Amino acid sequence: MRAIDMGILVCPECHQLNRHEKDCDGQQLCIRCGARVHARHPNSLRRTWALLLAAAILYIPANLLPIMTVRSLGKGEPDTIMSGVIALVHMGSLPVALVVFVASILVPTFKLVGIALLLLSVQRHQPLSARQRILMFRFIEWIGRWSMLDIFVIAILVAVVNFGTLAKVEPNLGAVAFASVVILTMLAALTFDPRLIWDNTESDDDHE
Amino acid sequence: MHDSSRSHDLRELPLDKLVACHECDLLMLKPELAPGERAECPRCGFELFSNQPRMLGRSLALVIAALLLYVPANFLPILQLRLLGQTTEDTVWSAVVALYASGLQGIAGVVFLCSMGIPLLKLLCQLVVLLTIYWDAGRAYGLLLYRIYHHLREWGMLEVYFMGILVSIVKLVSLADLAVGAGLACFICLLLIQVWLEITMSPHQVWEALSRGRTHASH
Repeated sequence: MRAIDMGILVCPECHQLNRHEKDCDGQQLCIRCGARVHARHPNSLRRTWALLLAAAILYIPANLLPIMTVRSLGKGEPDTIMSGVIALVHMGSLPVALVVFVASILVPTFKLVGIALLLLSVQRHQPLSARQRILMFRFIEWIGRWSMLDIFVIAILVAVVNFGTLAKVEPNLGAVAFASVVILTMLAALTFDPRLIWDNTESDDDHE
Repeated sequence: MHDSSRSHDLRELPLDKLVACHECDLLMLKPELAPGERAECPRCGFELFSNQPRMLGRSLALVIAALLLYVPANFLPILQLRLLGQTTEDTVWSAVVALYASGLQGIAGVVFLCSMGIPLLKLLCQLVVLLTIYWDAGRAYGLLLYRIYHHLREWGMLEVYFMGILVSIVKLVSLADLAVGAGLACFICLLLIQVWLEITMSPHQVWEALSRGRTHASH
């Protein structure tokens, strides 16, 4: 039995139960905290798609443009995300290279594909089970912020490697694209309403 | 956990005897929890709420400790780098300033918000919310600020920043002489206290306390 079937709306912010009032459709406020309550986030799928597409477009410059340049004695080569990982491998710090690779390449890619799969499977009733979908959603939601790692590393390096002509780190435009991808995919995960995952499996559950 | 399929029973119960899972919308009887217990949704496993003993006092102590650590964590040097007699220092704040000066103001803004601005706002919201409960005054502000807190939650990234510090250390070790500063210890303490606080300050209990004695919280 879902709350929506009983005409009960769950407040998205304080989780207070509210009886659905028919006359003020779309404008109902939570009796406890005053937040707007809906049975499901309005236009959840459409908004998530929009944010996801924007992220996918920015994903290209984020990976192709350099994110920072390390200059020592006037010479220096711009680093893309991938070349930064390869540099770490050459330095012999494999575990750290792995962490950066996972956070900056694997996770953003996984998030783009994962959210798209979630949306498709909710829209088309595809064979992912609700359990698989909710686990994927939680994982995407939890891991999203970790992609910001590379941006923080750039910030720290820019501040601390600052010896004039001797050695210097400069941030580049790729960092802007990359940060935008991370923020957009986090927003996409936030706008996605996880209750939709269970909605189109409800009939299956009832027959169990 | 209670049987959720007895829909006829559920239909006759008042709202305050029921609870719905926030993540999958399953409606069920509200379980009574003893101190220290937690309840999970039987269908999707989402934590419905937990009952923390002495929530108010412990949370207040943790918030105040975190606020005291905030300034040294952000303004004391985290890393020091020496190269041919020159020394540079990095604090969380100087990283923001350096990014801003290098021309990427947008990124400087994002880093400032995720590592300094939002963590501070979160702590201040938590402090005021706890104080309104403690003093039993200004509940309307408490409700509003606690709602704001929930929107900010995702965007404070102290633990990610900490991982960033570790990665930077590895990248810098081969480049020059590296020393860690007192700021790092404060930063780690701030991070740990914040995680502890998030566990202690159980949202369900805070909302209950904020709404006690109020029948209607409309604007």
